[in-house]
Amino acid sequence: MSKLRPLHRGLPALAPFLWLAAFFLFPFVLVAKLSLSDIALAMPPYAPRLDLSKGLAGVSTFLHSLDFDAYRHMVEDGVYAAAYLSSLKFAAIGTGILLLVGYPMAYGMARCPPKVRQALLMMVVLPFWTSFLIRIYAWIAILKPEGLLNAALGWLGLPPVALMDNDPAVIIGLVYAYLPFMVLPLYSVLERQDESLLEAASDLGCTQFEAFWRVTFPMSLPGVAAGALLCFIPMVGEFVIPDLLGGSSTLMLGKTIWTEFFANRDWPAASAVAIILLATLIAPILIYQRQQAKLLDAQ
Amino acid sequence: MTTSSRLNIGAVRCTFAPWEDPTAKPLIRFEGVVKRFGDDVAVNGVSLDIYEKEFFALLGPSGCGKTTLMRMLAGFETPNEGRITLEGEDILAKPAHKRPVNMMFQSYALFPHLNVEQNIAFGLKDLPKDERNDRVLEMLALVRLEGLARRKPDQLSGGQRQRVALARAIAPRPRLLLLDEPLAALDKKLRDETQFELVALQERLGMTFMVVTHDQEEAMVMSTRVAVMDKGQIVQVGRPSEVYETPNSRYVADFIGEVNLFEAKVISADGVTMTLAGDNCPAGYAVREDDLLSPGAAVTLAVRPEKIQVSQDRPPAGANGMAGKVADIGYLGDWTTYLITVPGGMTVRAARANSARIVERPIDWDDEVWLSFSPDAAVVLTS
Repeated sequence: MSKLRPLHRGLPALAPFLWLAAFFLFPFVLVAKLSLSDIALAMPPYAPRLDLSKGLAGVSTFLHSLDFDAYRHMVEDGVYAAAYLSSLKFAAIGTGILLLVGYPMAYGMARCPPKVRQALLMMVVLPFWTSFLIRIYAWIAILKPEGLLNAALGWLGLPPVALMDNDPAVIIGLVYAYLPFMVLPLYSVLERQDESLLEAASDLGCTQFEAFWRVTFPMSLPGVAAGALLCFIPMVGEFVIPDLLGGSSTLMLGKTIWTEFFANRDWPAASAVAIILLATLIAPILIYQRQQAKLLDAQ
Repeated sequence: MTTSSRLNIGAVRCTFAPWEDPTAKPLIRFEGVVKRFGDDVAVNGVSLDIYEKEFFALLGPSGCGKTTLMRMLAGFETPNEGRITLEGEDILAKPAHKRPVNMMFQSYALFPHLNVEQNIAFGLKDLPKDERNDRVLEMLALVRLEGLARRKPDQLSGGQRQRVALARAIAPRPRLLLLDEPLAALDKKLRDETQFELVALQERLGMTFMVVTHDQEEAMVMSTRVAVMDKGQIVQVGRPSEVYETPNSRYVADFIGEVNLFEAKVISADGVTMTLAGDNCPAGYAVREDDLLSPGAAVTLAVRPEKIQVSQDRPPAGANGMAGKVADIGYLGDWTTYLITVPGGMTVRAARANSARIVERPIDWDDEVWLSFSPDAAVVLTS
């Protein structure tokens, strides 16, 4: 696939490369450079700054004053490691619950008559028509101590639950927000599955339950992987949900980056956190892309 | 079939004919089976016996109900009326996964996530591990796929996939193997070879096969008996030679092989030969009298192309001679087909085997020729 082709044939492919260079590579280099800078009481609040008026000498001084202080600081201060692990934990728990909720949903949808399927698919995508922020605020109205949920529990004579400004609230928010991203890839593999394979399984002595575990589920694994990665990767860096639903003790990298940037005005530290986050997510992103390529091949 | 006792036709030397033995018990029995899908009647009152070790073919055009009939046997459809028994036991009470019937699917339905070995072992989960492995090896040898045990289905050719599907369906040793258009996905040459292989395999295993096909050649070559279906009903059941040589209706005559249908009216009958009149043969037809028909009855004479002679000389009286003009000649290699226009405007198809390698073609386009067929060659059809 990645064979080198004559240059003129590659020209149409230049557009996406230019796009990536402008909107991914350039900002990335900026952030990487920032992460190697030092905090300074200035506008903008970091040093060194590249002074091109001094020519090559200026570039050289600039390069020499870049250092790994921000990274060293991250290793020394345990808060970053804790935030990092906590982010992975949230993302892992969220992904696990999403699989448990999303798989039956996708399976049920794929088993519906085609007309109903379209309607259900529409309903899965429907929340995207409302602003993400508004939907998270709606969850605050539901989950807060005197919110809808507790009102309903009280009406039923049950004790109220504390599901606001804490970790369970963040999990609820994550599962809610990422559910479509889990359901859609699962649905697409399950819907494609050939009905005659299940007939063959039943012909060869499988009950419906056995046929599911021996045929349907193993064949849907590429969808499981795609859905899991599609949710896990952005959840690790999630900011809005832990910020709005989480408590002061909720540690997540997205929040850490925000705090460093805006509260502490420590741009190099924030950039270093962002770079580390990106570096650790590259592996799952690559796995995800390979999965996608496989899925495309299978079609 | 009543006619088979009177006519000595084709492969009757074959001694395997349990359906003619009144004491034989059928393996499968359909009794008045009806299946409706909404307002459509897919299978309309089918009663049929299939005997042990038969290679039974259900033949018909698409939509005639043959696949539905097979799927009811496998347990994928439930009849609205009637009974299906296997060795006298009602199998409709059993779900598909408990029936001792396996099916080879038209699409093969191989599990893409499993390799050849695992596909074949899929139906053997109840066997102990050693026995299961032995069975898989036996099946791999049977379909000559020993070297490909670890391949995934998408790494196999069409013919290899077909053999995996066959091995997978045979592996649990079913009482009856159903084959849904087993050769439809193969190319012509492979299909011809596989037809004979399937028959050899069926004889070696001593298993009962039931094949659904729309390809009459496939049905004729492989099966012990053929059931011709039309609009949800079985029109005729018999040995391939019976169905070909003594079709019981215009539908069967036309569906199986090529046929010329002459409309005629009975003039007289003397117990041996019947004389008929028709537009295409001004001199009148003379055919063997099989059924008692009163003068004036309208009938159809069905004559196969290979039973019609083409010559430049006028045939003797009583040989159903018809003058005609050659409209087209089709050279097929083994056969040459002549399309000849006869009085009444009908085009008659006559076929001649090219048994000699080098012959001067005596008959050419636009030649005036004579057609004839013996009184035995025509089948008198009343329906």
